[in-house]
Amino acid sequence: MQPVNLFNLAAQQARWLSVRQSVIAGNVANVNTPGYVARDVKPFEAVLDNRHVAMAATEPGHMQGNNPLVQDVSLREDNENPVVLPSGNTVSLQTELVKSADVQRQFNLNTAIVKAFHNMLAMATKE
Amino acid sequence: MDPLSTALKVAASGLDAQSERLRVVSENMANAQSTGRVPGSDPYRRKTITFTAAVDHASGGAMVKVSNIGRDESAFPVDFDPGNEAANADGYVKMPNVNMLVEMADMREANRSYEADLQVVKQARNLISMTIDLLRSGS
Repeated sequence: MQPVNLFNLAAQQARWLSVRQSVIAGNVANVNTPGYVARDVKPFEAVLDNRHVAMAATEPGHMQGNNPLVQDVSLREDNENPVVLPSGNTVSLQTELVKSADVQRQFNLNTAIVKAFHNMLAMATKE
Repeated sequence: MDPLSTALKVAASGLDAQSERLRVVSENMANAQSTGRVPGSDPYRRKTITFTAAVDHASGGAMVKVSNIGRDESAFPVDFDPGNEAANADGYVKMPNVNMLVEMADMREANRSYEADLQVVKQARNLISMTIDLLRSGS
């Protein structure tokens, strides 16, 4: 695997995590909105499956698959939480905060990996 | 737009909405004993507040905003208090339809939601600083 590919993958995951954080922010902000249905992003695996490792185009005639960088993270309604308030709101504050902590942890791991990889590259290129 | 700044913006809209709600609650509580001025007149009428989800078109985030500050149309309770300036001919005074218990519960809920929004802001800030720290590892 080429190093560039790993950076790309890490950037994809960071993007996915940021989108998830903003969706969580939307849910928490709307915790008292009547009729609001909680949302979540599709799992990262689904984002990954949409995009196989692309083959290099070495000739102008080669066809390229979808460009990995413009891949959109799509939303879905969050049906995991069965509690529906009388107002029709399905946001559960504790679930959202747990999700947010999860995002934080994964982001931490993600940046640590990028850092480690960057250090390895830097080591290899030094002298 | 960067999703993390969207998260901050959305959480800020939640903070705004909840503080507006706290304002309405404090108005209700402050006026829990405000009777009318002239005999037989209506006292302070309790205010209500409702939220609605509003999609921010620039970022696609689900913001929240105050949709309506309405009036609670329930009946006023009456007290027997002939000395009050708003007392009618029989000595009864219409009191505001504010229930302290309901207002307290509302206040606590607003508080809780506000704290959750603050927590989200904190988390988003953490994510941003983690990303910036990537640049610092260089040495």
